[in-house]
Amino acid sequence: MSKILSFLFVTLLFSPSVYAQELQLGDPITLTEVTKVSEINAHPEKYKGKKVLIEGMIINVCAARGCWMDIASDVPFEKIQVKVVDGEIVFPMEAKGRNAKVEGIAEELKLSREQAIAMGKHRAEEQGGEFDPSSITGPVSFLRIRGLGAIIQ
Amino acid sequence: MRWRKWNFILHRDIGYLCIGLTLIYAISGVAVNHTSHSFNPSYTIEKSAATVSKLEDGKQPDREYVNQVLAELGETGTFKNVAMLNPSTMRIFIEGNSIDVTLATGAVIQEKIARKPGLFEMNYLHLNKHKKSWTLIADIYAIALGLLAVTGLLMIRGKNKLRGILFTSAGIALPLLFLFAVL
Repeated sequence: MSKILSFLFVTLLFSPSVYAQELQLGDPITLTEVTKVSEINAHPEKYKGKKVLIEGMIINVCAARGCWMDIASDVPFEKIQVKVVDGEIVFPMEAKGRNAKVEGIAEELKLSREQAIAMGKHRAEEQGGEFDPSSITGPVSFLRIRGLGAIIQ
Repeated sequence: MRWRKWNFILHRDIGYLCIGLTLIYAISGVAVNHTSHSFNPSYTIEKSAATVSKLEDGKQPDREYVNQVLAELGETGTFKNVAMLNPSTMRIFIEGNSIDVTLATGAVIQEKIARKPGLFEMNYLHLNKHKKSWTLIADIYAIALGLLAVTGLLMIRGKNKLRGILFTSAGIALPLLFLFAVL
C-alpha cells in the first residue's frame, strides 16, 4: 500500500501538468467566440454580468497568492484584470509573458475614493512599486473579469 | 479484547501511511500561513535596478532595442514576449525574469522569480493546485487522519488514562477557547 502511495506521490510530483507548456486552470472553457478586451473596456455596460471569453498576453500576476492577473488588450496600453477566488484558481508566477484564454463573468467594481486609494496601495505593496494617492481624485469604477476557467498557453 | 488489537493495528498502520503526507502538509502549512506581500511561499522573488542605453529620441522600440537591452543586462534566458505597459515603459518577458525599461532614461527594474525547491512542490500538493486525482488522495488522507484520531481516542486506557484525557481535552479546548475569544 505504501509503495502504491509512494508511486502516486512521485507520479503526481513529476506529472507533466506541473511543468506543462499549456496549463488548464479551473473550469473547462465552454465559449468559443473570443471577445476583444478593447471591446469590453469600450462598452462595459454591454458586458456587465455576462460570461465572456478573452484572450491576450499576461502582463502581471499577483505576487502574493496568484489570485489575479492582468491581460493585455488588443489596443496598446490597455489591459483588463482577471480576479479569482483565493485558492480556487492560482495563477502561476511563470505565466507572465505567456498567452492566456480566460472565461469568466464581466463584473463592475465600484470603489469610493478611499477604497480606490486602499486598493492602489495594496497593489503597490504586492508589486513592490510606488503609488501616489493624489492620482485618485474621486470614486472609481472599472470592469474586471471574475475568472472561472483559463488556459495558459 | 480482540477489537483493541485491531484498533492498535489500524492506528499504527494508518499512522505509518500518514507520515509522508503529514510532513508535507505541516511544512507547507507553516509556509502558507505566512504568505504576505513580502513572502511568497512558493517562489523567490528578487527585484533589482540597473541602467541600460536609453532609446534614441524619435525611435520606436523594436526587437533590435530589446536585444540590445538584454545584451547590456547579460540576460541569456529564453525570450518569451514583450509588451508596452504605457507609452514610456516597455516590459520584456524572459523565462523567470521580467524587465521593465523606462525608454526615455534607460532605467531598468528586473523581477526575477524562481521556484523554491521542495517548498513549491509541497505547496502545490497542499493547496491542491492539481485538483482532479489529488483531490481524491487528499480526501482519503483527511479520512485517514480522522481514523487516526478516533483509534487514538479508543487507546486511552490503563495507566495513561488520565494523561490521555488531559491532553485530548487540551487539544479540543484550544480551538474552542480561541473561537470563544475572537468571535
